[in-house]
Amino acid sequence: MEDSKRGIEQENINQEKKEMTRRSFLKMIAGTGLLVGLSGALAGCVEKSPEHAGGKGWLPYQYNVAGNLPAQVRGRVPIDADNPSITRDDQKCILCGQCLEVCKNVESVYGYYDLPVVDETICINCGQCSMACPSGAISERDDTKKVFEALADKDKFVLVQTAPATRVALGEEFGLPPGTWVQGQQVAALRRLGFNAVLDTNFAADLTIMEEATELIKRIKGEVKKPLPQFTSCSPGWIKFCEYFYPELIPNISSCKSPQQMFGALAKTYYARARGIDPENIVSVSVMPCTAKKFEAQRPEMNASAKYWKRGNLRDVDVVLTTRELARMLKEKQIDLTALPEENYDKLMGEETGGAVIFGATGGVMEAAARTAYFLITGQEPPALFLNLTPVRGLAGVKEAAAEIPGVGTLRVAVSHGMANGRKILNAVREGKAPWHFVEFMTCPGGCIAGGGQPRTAVPPSDTVREQRLAALYKADASLSKRKSYENEEVAALYRDFLGHPMSELAEELLHTEYHSRADRLKRILAQAV
Amino acid sequence: MASTKGVLVDITRCIGCESCVVACRLYNGLEPGQKNRGKTKQNGNTELAPDKWTAVQGYRVDKDGNKVRRFVKKQCLHCLEPACASACFARALQKTPEGPVVYNEKLCVGCRYCMIACPFGILRFEWDKPFPRVLKCQMCLARVADNQMPACASVCPTGAVTFGERDKIVEEAKKRQASNPNLYVSQIYGLKEAGGTSWLYLSDVAFDKLGFRTDVPEKPIPEYTWQVLRWTPHIFIGWGALLTGMYLYTKRRAAVHAEEEMYAPVDVDEK
Repeated sequence: MEDSKRGIEQENINQEKKEMTRRSFLKMIAGTGLLVGLSGALAGCVEKSPEHAGGKGWLPYQYNVAGNLPAQVRGRVPIDADNPSITRDDQKCILCGQCLEVCKNVESVYGYYDLPVVDETICINCGQCSMACPSGAISERDDTKKVFEALADKDKFVLVQTAPATRVALGEEFGLPPGTWVQGQQVAALRRLGFNAVLDTNFAADLTIMEEATELIKRIKGEVKKPLPQFTSCSPGWIKFCEYFYPELIPNISSCKSPQQMFGALAKTYYARARGIDPENIVSVSVMPCTAKKFEAQRPEMNASAKYWKRGNLRDVDVVLTTRELARMLKEKQIDLTALPEENYDKLMGEETGGAVIFGATGGVMEAAARTAYFLITGQEPPALFLNLTPVRGLAGVKEAAAEIPGVGTLRVAVSHGMANGRKILNAVREGKAPWHFVEFMTCPGGCIAGGGQPRTAVPPSDTVREQRLAALYKADASLSKRKSYENEEVAALYRDFLGHPMSELAEELLHTEYHSRADRLKRILAQAV
Repeated sequence: MASTKGVLVDITRCIGCESCVVACRLYNGLEPGQKNRGKTKQNGNTELAPDKWTAVQGYRVDKDGNKVRRFVKKQCLHCLEPACASACFARALQKTPEGPVVYNEKLCVGCRYCMIACPFGILRFEWDKPFPRVLKCQMCLARVADNQMPACASVCPTGAVTFGERDKIVEEAKKRQASNPNLYVSQIYGLKEAGGTSWLYLSDVAFDKLGFRTDVPEKPIPEYTWQVLRWTPHIFIGWGALLTGMYLYTKRRAAVHAEEEMYAPVDVDEK
């Protein structure tokens, strides 16, 4: 009974379904479509889009976003892609302007020439910009790969020289406090890296003093027809600075090469002969606190060994590493400097005196030269004043000293560091108001101890760190038994066996050079206020 | 147009530090790909790229018998009557009242007509992207609308890039030329090129030696298309009228012909 009822109901439903005609179906579809369309259109009106294509409002919405430009932007110094000393990484640069600050106010290069630029990006390669760069965008040109390749080559005899200033700074890269004396560990570390000979630029520094002091005496006596005051020539940044801005004073610069280049010239002549090595198999590496040394080593005239052997392809110094690059190499080879024992330099070109050690400090070259000049003139040991020529020590921008030398009179000297300070002296010399006999110029503030290739212990470099490094050098000088360059026995042996005497013909050929005006590369501003 | 902003690039004051390039990248959030980082042009210069809206290119040229080095900042010149915008049927490129010619990627269909239209060859296409855009300098519209310098101008350490009202910028350029006639060449690039641009250049070396296109007509590029396109309605109506006339004529001729046949004398020979 119930089943039949259910069957009838089912039939009714089926009948109703069947009554869905084609017309009513189309009506339903059309109605639904209309409803959807209408609701969609209404929804579109409700949702107010912030952008109206082509309307006036869309542009600011798209672009009025907070830019990523730092609040304080001041630009930066120009660095050529082929600058041998420094490179920059655009990805890291934040345009803070610290490099400009240093280049303009400390080195007085940027802004000291008239625009438009002539044919060269003016740079003295000092690398102080890399020291001041807070983001590490400016750094030295990395030459570590060349050294690793040379060390891996079994046919090559790779010798290395280390500058006076690296031994008071390298430790900072390994967590030691500024000014820690790591000379012995540095020698040990270089041996671990695989250098065939570890030698000392200090040897060449003593040699420089012998040559430079001799030249000074000859100038004072009138045996060399060159003007006074004599300028030091150890700092390659200063040399390039003088070639750019004060070409008329080039004759005042001592014709001596810098210790690095003297060493390089001797490494492939004197050392090669003494050790019986083919100079072409020698790879001459130097570890320097300085980026300008990279430029100096590439100067075309720095190939005295090629002239000596009459082989065209020799360079006196093949690769220059900064202190930072050496630290990077040691870290790459996982050599812990602090855990190494102290070792001594190799013989023949590895001896040092206190006079050479203080080459790394502002005033150091001057002090060392004065000690030797006194001896060369009087034939007597210099008095205590010459061993502690305190007026030329310290971080004052321009320092002066006068010392009595019996038989000659008063030797007047001046010292400056940072080329902005140097300009004060140079302008006085240009105006003929210079009372000095000998002037030391250092490109970097504090001298080589704060060179452009030194560890970036404080950014920007602080005088606190500089003073600690300086103190370490003077402490080492005071503690050495030999403090005067003429006491260096290896230098004496070099003169006895090879060169003859200071400023001999061979010494002139290997250890002296000429400088060339670069004034045509820029438009000089002569009346620049200092 | 009085408030249109402009920028003066004084090539004699550029030292080639590329601060402007970094500033552009920082402000616009451009992260250059590895392959675009290096030097791409044959002469060693960096070229514009989708992620490099401005570039500084170095040129060694002869000047009075000496070799000199000049740096040229390159970017969109922001024409007063931009060809790219006139070529863009999607209105993805538009000239703003402030001066910048800006690009809205949401409207862009990727046809690249703008690239063909640009007389200075500035626009760059993202060839390697699935949904490519056409990119170029936007002259930092948000900053310019706020009366600030574009990012590049704000960092220039030597003042080689100067920003201001275009009229005043033109005055400044003329003043510099007048005060130093021995230095500058007489042309101000961008004053008349393509009908005038928002970016103007001063130089002491002829512009064609510095990679500038000097064959750009002085008439705005959109005017050339207008010279043709303005005949459209006339041709449209005229063509219709011509066809109508011909239709009427042939119809009439046919009618006359039929009539003549109808009323023609009956052939006598047949009878």
